[in-house]
Amino acid sequence: MPSQIILNDVSQSFFLNDSKITLFKNLNVSISQGESYAITGPSGAGKSSLLMLMSGLEQAATGQGIYRNNNQQKTLDELRSEIGFIFQQFHLLPELTALNNVALPLKLRGDKDALPKAKIWLEKVGLQQRQHHKPSELSGGEQQRVAIARALVFNPKFIFADEPTGNLDQKSAREVTDILFSCCEENNAGLVIVTHSDKLASKAKHIFTLSDGQFKLASTNNLEVIAC
Amino acid sequence: MLKSTSIRANTALAWHFYRQEYSQSHQRLLRWVQGILLLFIITLSQSSDSIQNYLQMNLNGLLGADVVLSQQQSLTTEQHSEILDIADKVVVTQQVKTTLTHDGKWQQAQIKAVDSRYPLQGELITSSTLDGVGQSNSSGPQSGHIWLDARLLASLSLTIGDYLTIAEQRFAVSRILQHEPDRLMEGHTVAMRAMIHTEDMAALGFAPELIHYRYLIAANSEQTNQLIDWQKEHLPAAVIRHKQGQHPLALFWQRTENFMGLASIILFFMAAIAIEQLTQVHMKKDQFFSAVCMSLGASKAAGLRVSLLKWCISIVFLLPVVVFVSAGCHWLIMHFLSNTFSDLQWHWNFYSVVKPIAAVVAIFAVFHMPVWLAVHKSSVARLFVGDYRGLSHWVSKISSILVLLGVTLIYSDNGLLTLMMVTVIAVTIALMIFLSWSSLTIGEMLTQRVSGLVPFALFMMKQRLVSKSTQIMGIGLCAFLLLFTLMLLKDLGQTMTSYQRQHDGNVFISKATQVQMEFIEDWASEQDISLRQIKPYMYAKLTAVNEQSLARFSQKPSDSMATFSQAIRLHWSQTVPQNNVVASGQWWQSDEQNWQQISIEQEVMTDLGLELGDWLTFYINQQSYDFEIVASHNYKPGAGSITFWVQMPPSALDHIQSPHFSMASMELMDEQWSVLAPLWQKFPTLLMVSLKELTQRFDKLLAMITNVISGFSLMIVLLAAVVILASINSLESNEKKKNSVIMSFGFSRSTCLKLNLIEWFVTASITAVGAILGTYIAGLLIYQSQFSLTYKPDFVWLFLTLLIILSLTTTLGVYASRNSLKSSVRQLLSGT
Repeated sequence: MPSQIILNDVSQSFFLNDSKITLFKNLNVSISQGESYAITGPSGAGKSSLLMLMSGLEQAATGQGIYRNNNQQKTLDELRSEIGFIFQQFHLLPELTALNNVALPLKLRGDKDALPKAKIWLEKVGLQQRQHHKPSELSGGEQQRVAIARALVFNPKFIFADEPTGNLDQKSAREVTDILFSCCEENNAGLVIVTHSDKLASKAKHIFTLSDGQFKLASTNNLEVIAC
Repeated sequence: MLKSTSIRANTALAWHFYRQEYSQSHQRLLRWVQGILLLFIITLSQSSDSIQNYLQMNLNGLLGADVVLSQQQSLTTEQHSEILDIADKVVVTQQVKTTLTHDGKWQQAQIKAVDSRYPLQGELITSSTLDGVGQSNSSGPQSGHIWLDARLLASLSLTIGDYLTIAEQRFAVSRILQHEPDRLMEGHTVAMRAMIHTEDMAALGFAPELIHYRYLIAANSEQTNQLIDWQKEHLPAAVIRHKQGQHPLALFWQRTENFMGLASIILFFMAAIAIEQLTQVHMKKDQFFSAVCMSLGASKAAGLRVSLLKWCISIVFLLPVVVFVSAGCHWLIMHFLSNTFSDLQWHWNFYSVVKPIAAVVAIFAVFHMPVWLAVHKSSVARLFVGDYRGLSHWVSKISSILVLLGVTLIYSDNGLLTLMMVTVIAVTIALMIFLSWSSLTIGEMLTQRVSGLVPFALFMMKQRLVSKSTQIMGIGLCAFLLLFTLMLLKDLGQTMTSYQRQHDGNVFISKATQVQMEFIEDWASEQDISLRQIKPYMYAKLTAVNEQSLARFSQKPSDSMATFSQAIRLHWSQTVPQNNVVASGQWWQSDEQNWQQISIEQEVMTDLGLELGDWLTFYINQQSYDFEIVASHNYKPGAGSITFWVQMPPSALDHIQSPHFSMASMELMDEQWSVLAPLWQKFPTLLMVSLKELTQRFDKLLAMITNVISGFSLMIVLLAAVVILASINSLESNEKKKNSVIMSFGFSRSTCLKLNLIEWFVTASITAVGAILGTYIAGLLIYQSQFSLTYKPDFVWLFLTLLIILSLTTTLGVYASRNSLKSSVRQLLSGT
């Protein structure tokens, strides 16, 4: 049975100038490994906060988050080593080459084959020729492809992507989207994308909207994914 | 109209941003760096100004005459009448250094013999009791009487009315000497003083070569000029002081000021490193602001103006605080120095504060220049991309180096020491860079196949080699400078004390006539006292180099120059003395006929800019002699400490008629100390000093040096802390991002903390090893040459220092980096 992230009746709120602002209330959702999800909605609706709750990096004000793995129920804290992130601003380390950026999570885990594995991933995202280039020498699209390789290189069970194509032109956005979905599919990783782009959201199997504190399933697609 | 409006608007904006950034760490650190340096320079220049001012007042009030001519011999009748032809009134005083004994106690003192015409100008003040009110005297003591200063009276346990015997003559102690109007001529010696009548001096029968003559002359300014010309022509070896000239201590203080100034190069160097690190943050902020302004239609000049005005505002608001604190420090220093310069008053000179402030602010502007150049050279597109490299990077390095060179040139008066200090700093920098590169490269290579956080930390540090090297270099240099300063302080005291005891016995004879020395040799063998060394010398006054007067030849103040303004001890030896080694040229051969050869100590050669083949003119016993420099020598420890700056072949003695003296050292057992008193009784002018007395004098000197160095070390520690904080501040945004990215891979904050700890430990290790190696090189280079000490590193002390540097740097580094650990994945999501 695939691993799952389950949020039961969670609410999130924060205080601004002594007044309480509620982002969402009694939200229920279940994310499965190997599936893709898109969350859309207007700015400030709480999409990124929801992403933080799902990934276990923040605690909900009320409600419960569960990580179900091998039929065992755990807290979301134990999910930490099983997740990868992809950001709108790429956030590659500027002093490292593309290859070393990808190898970074493996080196941190003490993987002795970090560099060969990173090379394989750079090939998968089509950047084998640019492995010794630093981020400042790569285009936005290329940087995001390096970031995708970096997020997936240690085989996480879930990938959380925040506006992964937000900083890219149409062509690059299309390429990055294809690579992201195909790689997650091939790695059997669950993919959760927060986006404003309908085009990107439409690639996901499950599309949710978060607006005015309401979290709704918009549609479910049957996807056709190109191998990465 | 439009222009003034825009300047007003820019000023308002600059003020707004200054206020906004006031408590941000990059501004706070910059203020600390600027504040510490300004404080040091303002305090130094104010103290210096007060002392020079005091010396000038002192010169006018304490010369006791309009002109004072002093020399070893008395003037001939002809010379005396020539002076009287020029001036109206001349009073002569005679000085002799002796050891007075009373009731088994002895004390070195300087006796001055005066006649009834003394004092010429000013007041001679004495009292009849130790705490009595001083009374003005119209003349000195009568024949058969002696006046002693209070310290001498106390140290010999005498009271008014007692009798004191000197060379078998009895003197009645009749008054306590409080003030002599020609006191200035005693210079900065703290010798105890006594005064007798001239007739008694003749009766004491001291050897004429031991008596120093001083002629106090009343003269107007025209007569003064005539006397100066007359002295140049007829008595070139004599020392002349006059109210229009410089105080004898002026040069001494100038040298002290120069030494402190040269030491400030270390502070400037550290400030340059700190500001260079902070510049990165300033550059980013100012460039970004400028970009926003330009994208909103403002001109490039507006961004530059705001940046300049913001910097000016920060300086203007810093100055009152610094000036206030400097005034306090200045007061403390004046209080501290009042032991050396009596009646020295706290005095604040507003004009002399402007000059150093202007100079230091200009230097800060040069250090900050890269920020303005970067703002000036940038375009909107380039600014938004955040490309800060290029010209500004190099400009900052070159401008810093130029400023440091300038500071070195202004303050340097000891060429060799400056060269060595700069060389050691350069070698240490090269060493740190090499150590950083090699240890990180090798470390990373060796741990590539090993798992764990250490290999990862080494990998990350290697990838950030440039920024890490700068950080290591900055902290390492601070550690090196601090270590060297402390080591010097510790070793100077220890080595000198133990060295003196080891090789030279416990009593030194600094001046003995031939008769005295012969007697001492017999006396020593009778008493079974071992004489360690005996070295002959005669007095010689250097007057010219290559027929150019000394004053004209070298105008830079230095230790050597100060010593050469008086007669020096000229030694002769056929072979190279055992405690000397020839540095350049060739020592004379035994069969050599040419006696006009001379060897000079290497450092003196460097200080005065002398070269082999130069001709030196010495006045020896009223006669002029020329010598060619054929060799230079250095001191070699291990064979006695008595060494001479100037040495000639013994064959020269056939041509020079002058009294011979000796320096010697001997070892006395505890029970033999009592036999010294009769020796002094017989030869009161014999200049002898015990190791105990020497150690006491040395301890006093060391206590003063300790205070100065401790104050200086505090400045270094403060700046070192600022350098560490600045280097962390400049890398903080990168560190934050790194930590957030690591957390996004599923790691916790504690992993980041561990990585941080490892990084700082590695940084501190490289820093400590570099600093210790640098200190070792500095020890080898500078100890021998500048302090005549053998450098014997204490490895236990060095190891302990290594541990202290490691723990302090790691702790401060990790503590100061705590902000970069306050990162989260959410920050990456929000794009910061």
